[in-house]
Amino acid sequence: MPLDVPARAFALPEGVDPGALVSFLGERFDLAVDPPERTDHTVLDTADRRLRAAGAELRLHTHRGEPTMALAGRPGAPPLTATVRRRPRWLAGDLPEGPLRDRIAPAIGVRALLPLARVRGEVRPARVLNRDDKTVVRLRLATHAAVVEGGEVPLTPRLEVAGVLGYRRPFERLVSVLTTEAGLVEAPGSVADEAIAAAGGDPDGVPSKVRVPLRPDQRTDEAAVAVLRALAGVVEANLPGTLDDLDTEFLHDLRVAVRRSRSVLREMKRAFPPGPLRRQRDALRWVQAVTGPTRDLDVQLLEWDDLVATLPEDRQAALAPVRALLERRRRDAHRALRRELTGEAYGAAWGGYRRFLDGDLGPDDERPDAAAPVVAVAGRRIRKVYRRMVAMGEAVDAGSPATALHELRKRGKELRYLLELFGGLWPGDEARDMVRALKALQDVLGTHQDREVQADALRALAPDLAGVEGGPDALLALGAVVERLGTEQRAARERFADRFAEFASPSRQALVAETFRP
Amino acid sequence: MKVVATYNIKGGVGKTSAAVNIAALAAADGLRTVLWDLDPQAAATFLFRVRAKVRGGGRKLVRGRTDVTDLLRGTDIEGLDLLPADFSYRHMDLVLDGAGRRTRRMGRVLDPLAEHYDLAILDCPPSISLVSESVFDAADALLVPLIPSTLTVRTFEQLSAFVEDEVEDPPEVVAFFSMVDGRKRLHREVVERLSTDRDDVAAAAIPAATEVELMGVERAPVVVHAPRSRAARAYRALWAEVRSRLGI
Ligand SMILES: Nc1ncnc2c1ncn2[C@@H]1O[C@H](COP(=O)(O)OP(=O)(O)OP(=O)(O)O)[C@@H](O)[C@H]1O
Ligand SMILES: [Mg+2]
Repeated sequence: MPLDVPARAFALPEGVDPGALVSFLGERFDLAVDPPERTDHTVLDTADRRLRAAGAELRLHTHRGEPTMALAGRPGAPPLTATVRRRPRWLAGDLPEGPLRDRIAPAIGVRALLPLARVRGEVRPARVLNRDDKTVVRLRLATHAAVVEGGEVPLTPRLEVAGVLGYRRPFERLVSVLTTEAGLVEAPGSVADEAIAAAGGDPDGVPSKVRVPLRPDQRTDEAAVAVLRALAGVVEANLPGTLDDLDTEFLHDLRVAVRRSRSVLREMKRAFPPGPLRRQRDALRWVQAVTGPTRDLDVQLLEWDDLVATLPEDRQAALAPVRALLERRRRDAHRALRRELTGEAYGAAWGGYRRFLDGDLGPDDERPDAAAPVVAVAGRRIRKVYRRMVAMGEAVDAGSPATALHELRKRGKELRYLLELFGGLWPGDEARDMVRALKALQDVLGTHQDREVQADALRALAPDLAGVEGGPDALLALGAVVERLGTEQRAARERFADRFAEFASPSRQALVAETFRP
Repeated sequence: MKVVATYNIKGGVGKTSAAVNIAALAAADGLRTVLWDLDPQAAATFLFRVRAKVRGGGRKLVRGRTDVTDLLRGTDIEGLDLLPADFSYRHMDLVLDGAGRRTRRMGRVLDPLAEHYDLAILDCPPSISLVSESVFDAADALLVPLIPSTLTVRTFEQLSAFVEDEVEDPPEVVAFFSMVDGRKRLHREVVERLSTDRDDVAAAAIPAATEVELMGVERAPVVVHAPRSRAARAYRALWAEVRSRLGI
């Protein structure tokens, strides 16, 4: 349970003089006014606003000439600060060790902290005192402006009020005076959000997921296009961060949106004209292909530390050249990706795809599912893909090749996208529940396949490693890593049977048939 | 949450002065800090203008029946909360005595605070008692003010030995010199020798200074009411040492 420190933020109506408000309050409360503070700071958060989602607020300012991060504490408390190095962006590992990093790292994960807006202004602090001259409420009158290209945009002047632990009554009395006598209303959003919007950004951040409201009786082509447009928006929103290589999630989110788009085109193919459909599917496959190598290396590098941590220390040290090699490869791969995604081919392919989504799809008779209600088409596909997975899974036994599981995983992704993008068409929890069981299954299938891919990729490094300094030692240690990956892959395979049994239980089979029936 | 207790069997050596100044400095650094005034004399509670009254009394608190977070009070120092003293703490030894698993009792009051704070500072009353035992159990560090003399140093050594031998998971015991009078040769010599020789004696020493005495009048720690004074500087140096020893 959080401590009971209440806080409110009010907007000052236009034309209200902050000084007049202070004297108004001074007549009603024993008010101590403290010296004003100037602020000039940059709002930091990940592109998808993870800190905001965690209720945190991070700023960058200059303190005694040093770039300093300040993580806001609870209302009325000083921020936690740390001196940092000036950079265009910070990953958790770029922050100095200490309490600030400890608190931020779990919230941001692999994402980078980016400057989202710059704010300048003045804060006038004041305190309400009780009979003992003790502070019982804290106030801050803030007049801020967002610094944007070519000038400043004034933000709503605000009065922030924070209670003091154990003194709720005076807080409530003050709030009541502010809302009734002074007629103040709640401030719209935070200073950070307002500043981001003023600078032309979206306070909700760069999207990674889509939520498209659909009607069950909507035409399938219309519904599919609505979903595809939203997904194309995610691709476009994540492209600049991918090109600038701000963090690995931009590319990841971009690729997931492309994969989902391909899945919609495949599953709802009979809602589209065959010729143009084929061209667009080729275009998206090409995007997926040119971004694949970078993502594969990202995964290798992201998992590298965990993987290596399981080895004895001398082995770990011996592996340094492998990491360096991976990093070099990754740099090269990203350079190639950048070339492709800023090139003419991409411009033409993406432009073509956008025109396809925005244009006329032609007469219905070439497209048998086009006019059918989306609930019928999506339901049919969900039942079909599910049944197919059940059959494939049941055929798996100890002697099946790994590819049997890989194929099953592929179908699983397909089913997951169908459920996530169209599951809202059905009332009840079945779609969500299925996603959960499916995720559990996909986890083991994912581990099973990823470990194999990782092991193959590491084996493929061998010829290059042989030549570098420390190469022979690294190769030896690499053997241990590959062995470890094999063990994990086998362990995943052992878990498969249980997860699959849960996913394909007779009761679920009956429920799926019933829920998604035509 | 790290727990630091200012502790000395002797009275009037600077425990409370150190506790409130360190607490204020920790809070200013953005650490969520709580100060527990364990002394029935309520010096820290008085300093922060909080009325000393614990609902249900100390007995209930230690038995775990009162929600300790309801008793917390915010202070005039931003980010610093106080668990106030109360007259009933005079009976603390009695309470603890009857309460079974006595060494864990202080820890049990602190447990629910751990999610809210980075640092708890316990301002202990003088005298060795059962309170002390459970303080030793709960603390990560004991901060022991010493007035420079050969005798106090011997007492400190006895305390260190006791804690080391008798406490299951002993706190780090760190002494610092308090009320150092630079005009006295004995003070200068003892401080000089011990703070360089021993690593359980802090390098920072707090000078005898009027600003510290004025805390009661100003109702604020020295680091707040006279931040540029020598005493304030000394407390900042002491806090820096404590912080790095605690690794926070
Ligand atoms: N560095 C100092 N210089 C001058 N006076 C000091 C200094 N430190 C403490 N004092 C004064 O000495 C007295 C006792 O200090 P303090 O209350 O900090 O000690 P204490 O160990 O907590 O005492 P008690 O055992 O009574 O709790 C107070 O009046 C305080 O103002
Ligand atoms: Mg005291």
